[in-house]
Amino acid sequence: MMKRLDAPAWAMLAPVHLLLATVITLPSLYVFWLSLNESTWGTGLSFVGLANYREIFADPYFWRATINTLILVNAIVYVEILLGLGLALAFVGGLPAPRLMFAIILMPYAVSEVVGVLAWKILMNPSHGAIGRTLELMGLGMNWSANPTLGLTLVGVISVWHHLPFTFLLLYAGRLAIPASVYEAARIDGATPWQTFRRITFPLLMPALLITMIFRLVFAFRIFSEVWLLTRGGPARLSEVLAVYLYTGAFRNGEFGAAAATGWIMVAASLLIASVYLYKMHQRMASSDP
Amino acid sequence: MTGRARKSGWSSPAQGGRLFRYLIAAIVAVWSALPVLFIVTSSFKSSLEIFSYPPKFVWTPTVEHYVTLWNEWDAFFATMHNSLIIAVGATLLAAIVSFLAGYVYSRYRTQALAASAFYMIAIRLLPPIVVTLPLFPAVDMLGLSDTHAVLILLYAGFWVSLYTMIMKTFIDEIPIELDEAAIVDGATRLQTLVRVIGPLALQGMMAGAIFVFVFAWNEYLFALIFTTQNAKTTPLVISEVMDAIYGTDWGVLFAGVTVQLAPVLALVILGQRLLVAGLTAGSVKG
Repeated sequence: MMKRLDAPAWAMLAPVHLLLATVITLPSLYVFWLSLNESTWGTGLSFVGLANYREIFADPYFWRATINTLILVNAIVYVEILLGLGLALAFVGGLPAPRLMFAIILMPYAVSEVVGVLAWKILMNPSHGAIGRTLELMGLGMNWSANPTLGLTLVGVISVWHHLPFTFLLLYAGRLAIPASVYEAARIDGATPWQTFRRITFPLLMPALLITMIFRLVFAFRIFSEVWLLTRGGPARLSEVLAVYLYTGAFRNGEFGAAAATGWIMVAASLLIASVYLYKMHQRMASSDP
Repeated sequence: MTGRARKSGWSSPAQGGRLFRYLIAAIVAVWSALPVLFIVTSSFKSSLEIFSYPPKFVWTPTVEHYVTLWNEWDAFFATMHNSLIIAVGATLLAAIVSFLAGYVYSRYRTQALAASAFYMIAIRLLPPIVVTLPLFPAVDMLGLSDTHAVLILLYAGFWVSLYTMIMKTFIDEIPIELDEAAIVDGATRLQTLVRVIGPLALQGMMAGAIFVFVFAWNEYLFALIFTTQNAKTTPLVISEVMDAIYGTDWGVLFAGVTVQLAPVLALVILGQRLLVAGLTAGSVKG
């Protein structure tokens, strides 16, 4: 183990850090500067201080997008964690044809957001979709293209469908990491299944649950494609989320200043959500240092 | 529902419990596979049958849509070509740079390295849409808009954090004595990496590669913003067609989607063990 970085080590590190700096770090920092300026398509900057922030804070569509994002993200993540946990435990408990089931559960991971939206959009279509028309015949028809709440509900369904494999995998790996001997001991002591879950599985799975939740909150927070492809933020901009609000402002209206302010708020919020995870990671690194 | 299944499944292998497990499995399978199966089966149905209600579960398969796709939709295959170049390019780039960096993160221990690993993970958590704002004018200025290169760099850039950590974890498993023996035998550092470490860390390299490839093959947002014509990827053209479609073209679209979907679906199913290994080795664990 080398305690000092020599020239070859620097050379081997350089490409990754150059790439990260160009693609993520410097652009993210520059967005802050961009948010303090008025600009057309990101060029010809003129400094305006906090005017862009004042502008978006006074914009009801910004608040609508913020509230939509918060509700949607929370709904998606909690539903996903419940389903993922149930699925992981059912899987450990034994499902028929486990190898086939595992492959089937992973399927949505391979599907592009575009294809996911396409499939669900048609299936749920009230006049000719297999599910949508059935719901319609049962009197539960939902015209999600005319109603922002229903539109976002469908976005949530698609998003849960899409990311359940990820949540399942994390929780399944976490559950497998609990030693079998603990369950053996519980069985010998005559614990009921509920007691076993309540006293063993749940507390020992807590770290995995927490990490999964933070990861999913951070990644769900950036949701764009499902909303954009399904509703375009409509009707009447009522189903926009923050990323769609940013995209519309920047790439449809050319207002990069206000979009950058939105972007910087998204960066801060992402880091705030992630701070719990980052703090834990930092602690672990500090304690494992020689 | 799942709670009851687990309970009955654990308490006794009784008939009721088994029935419940089959029920759970059936529900999960339908939920996961239905959208994919719908598209794939529809691509083999005639235009009249695709939207028949109730849906037809038994029909005479036809490949007419695939023939139309092949004969009339040249643009679609051009985008497939773009997607392939971009996905392979991003995967190779990410694999090479992550392998090199992963080696350093595994074999060296300094304060600065520990801090930079932390930074790599943190930076990966930022929303990708944010970086498009400064990059859009920059890419334009450099004459890179609508090129394969810009998407290759972006896709690789967003995955090297996880990929590097995966490589670190896998290289950690290789005894450092092997490096030392190679150096004593007169191998250079690069030769050691390519001949000794590389082959032994191949699993990690493949695990990371699957993540990058699947992402690059399917990505929508960056493709939407940074490509217009020449470098347009398949998901982008699918999204455009689905918004502008009418009448009998649905079958052809489904055929195209099936062609787009098949390779990554196969990759994910065949590489499922690697995916699990990669996820546990990556940032999640660290």
